[in-house]
Amino acid sequence: MADGYTGKVLRVDLSNEKITTEPINREWTKSFIGGKGLGARYLFEELKPGVDPLSPDNVVMIWTGPLVGTMVPLTSRYAVVTKSPLTGTFLDSYAGGYFGPEMKYAGYDGVIIKGKAKKPVYLWINDGKAELRDAKNIWGKDNFKTEELIRKETGQSRARVASTGPAGEKLSLISGITSDLTRNAGRGGSGAVFGSKNLKAIAVRGTMGLEVPKIDEFVKMTKDMLLKDVIENPDHAGSITDGTPIIVDMSQDAALLPTRDWTSGEFEGTPGINSDALKTRVLVRRKACMGCGLACGSYAKVSKGMFKGAATEGPEYETIGLSGSNCGISNIEAIVKFAEECDKFGLDTMSAGAVTAFAMDLYERKILTKEDTGGLDLKFGNEEAFAKMPGMMARREHIGDVLADGSKRAAKKIGKGSEKLLVECKGSEYPAYDPRGSIGMALAYATSDRGADHNRAWPVAQDAYGSGDPWNPEGKAAICVEDNTRTSVKWSFIFCDFYAVSFANMANYYTAVTGQPADEDSLRAIGKRVWNLTRAFNAREGFTRKDDYLPERMEKEPLPSGKTKGKAVRRADFDKMLSEYYSLWNWDEEGRPTKKALEDVGLADIVKKLQYLK
Amino acid sequence: MTKGLKADREKCTGCQLCMLVCSGTHVGKFNPSESRIEVDDRFPEPGDFKLKFCRQCDEHPCVESCPTEAIVLDEGLGIYVVDREKCTGCGACVEACPYEGCWLDPSGSYSIKCDLCGGTPQCVEICPKGVLKR
Repeated sequence: MADGYTGKVLRVDLSNEKITTEPINREWTKSFIGGKGLGARYLFEELKPGVDPLSPDNVVMIWTGPLVGTMVPLTSRYAVVTKSPLTGTFLDSYAGGYFGPEMKYAGYDGVIIKGKAKKPVYLWINDGKAELRDAKNIWGKDNFKTEELIRKETGQSRARVASTGPAGEKLSLISGITSDLTRNAGRGGSGAVFGSKNLKAIAVRGTMGLEVPKIDEFVKMTKDMLLKDVIENPDHAGSITDGTPIIVDMSQDAALLPTRDWTSGEFEGTPGINSDALKTRVLVRRKACMGCGLACGSYAKVSKGMFKGAATEGPEYETIGLSGSNCGISNIEAIVKFAEECDKFGLDTMSAGAVTAFAMDLYERKILTKEDTGGLDLKFGNEEAFAKMPGMMARREHIGDVLADGSKRAAKKIGKGSEKLLVECKGSEYPAYDPRGSIGMALAYATSDRGADHNRAWPVAQDAYGSGDPWNPEGKAAICVEDNTRTSVKWSFIFCDFYAVSFANMANYYTAVTGQPADEDSLRAIGKRVWNLTRAFNAREGFTRKDDYLPERMEKEPLPSGKTKGKAVRRADFDKMLSEYYSLWNWDEEGRPTKKALEDVGLADIVKKLQYLK
Repeated sequence: MTKGLKADREKCTGCQLCMLVCSGTHVGKFNPSESRIEVDDRFPEPGDFKLKFCRQCDEHPCVESCPTEAIVLDEGLGIYVVDREKCTGCGACVEACPYEGCWLDPSGSYSIKCDLCGGTPQCVEICPKGVLKR
């Protein structure tokens, strides 16, 4: 029966080169949909607690959802799900483009990979068949070249490729998976998991298509929604005109734009890196993911100067904030170059930017010297040195070797007080919204299931960018709980962040594609189930309240100017928000889901697998 | 005077909604490979999209090339369409077309090309950026 799923999952054991196809778990698709939720359920089952993320025992999975590959707009994404080598937590990381739909057209909802290949291989999936191919000619190649070589070798010019770059091959813990050249499942180090398994890439070509029930009605509804709920939706206006770089000016106005390694919330160089700079100086054309009517992507190319020829899709807000203002870089062209290097080498632009800012800070404070940097004058704002950092990290040259594993591990190796300067949670670098300008973000970062991150809760939208009080702890926990619930559903379908889709409309899509009833309540129940599940996964790994921390600088170092002058996150406020957050979720004081909490959200079957509940 | 689709390639963002709606309405499933229009993303170089579809050109070399006379005039619309009953999938039209406007379906059994959806091209209706026109 056509219901948006292909019904099949590919299972690959790299150690013994065994490939099998199995039916998707139908109980779980009902309870978890796809993407994040389904991936979390499979991962919970596949892994024992305490598995080394870079060992053959770790599992890395690609998941789609029932809407992926249909005409429903902003659903072309796939999820990479694994245990993160950067944070040790559950990891779900997403990329748009065309890879996810292609996997559905090739006949698979998901791919589950474990073990370690004896020598470098790539997985080739073509219309219901899969094989491991020798990757000796592509190992060591960057992501652009990898796609080109695989297309040549398979003879499929429309094959889609998700690969790890040289950074992931060298087990950089801030490396991701890159597809369609510029689309990255960046966060959490999934590139290193591929690398540790000698898995260079997954390449896929699908010409079998995807069936949905009553396709004529489905097409009619989708066309209607594309116009009314996507293109004409006022919440999407900024995505059409600017994309995420529109946020640069908003953050500057709110004085929470990370600047020179979090020493300021205002950056005097903003006019050189904001959306206007991008549009007037480097934008070539707007670019969409499959099935999207917004086209928020900016294909940008530098036409003159030191970085002439550099091109990327983006740079997005997070890249601009963390590798631009936070590194004292006031030239959008340098950021395009940095992003291109990250795309090529397979580094997360967020962590790579943040760790570069961290290194610049250490250099300015003379904790690092030219001896460490291979002669680079790594001052804030030195564009030439800055643009060399992704390559140095990917090749593990000089200080790049230390930085390639993220700032927390770098500080441990560097010492000399550098630990005091860290701005991260669970080893994942903070995104580009300084919590001293929106304290709810400190809670969002602390409680994100994959380490500090902005895509699990985004309270800044309601206070610093909206009308709420950014420094009043009241109500922040409730915002995070609501955001966690909503995003858990969105990432399970998998919708793009930029679709401001209501629960009611998600339910309509669900019913249209699966033929099964759904409403806001049933979807909220799924969201709560998924969020409890990822939390339980982390609790099983031993994570407790002490891991949901606030970096010391956020508390002890007030911002110097603008609307955030003198502002910091008060420890008492943070603790209050955190306790309230746990209590709203019915978790224990260590932030672990209780037996009752799990039973209430339909997770009674995992209770016996949690040692802390015994 | 050409009667086929027209495209302003510069406006294309590569969303492929045209391919999705085309396959959805022609073959009853979402399958870009069975679409009668194709968008090729060409990045990083030259950094654009190439659109392939039947122009309904005046010369129509496909018609002359077909050994089974399977490409026939739809008198109502004044355009040439493929008669699937007569088409053997030999690929002569694919070779003959200077615009890469037709190709074989994934099974290789017959040629597919734009038929303007009987007069109301769905791709024109759905294109969110106004790239395609009748």
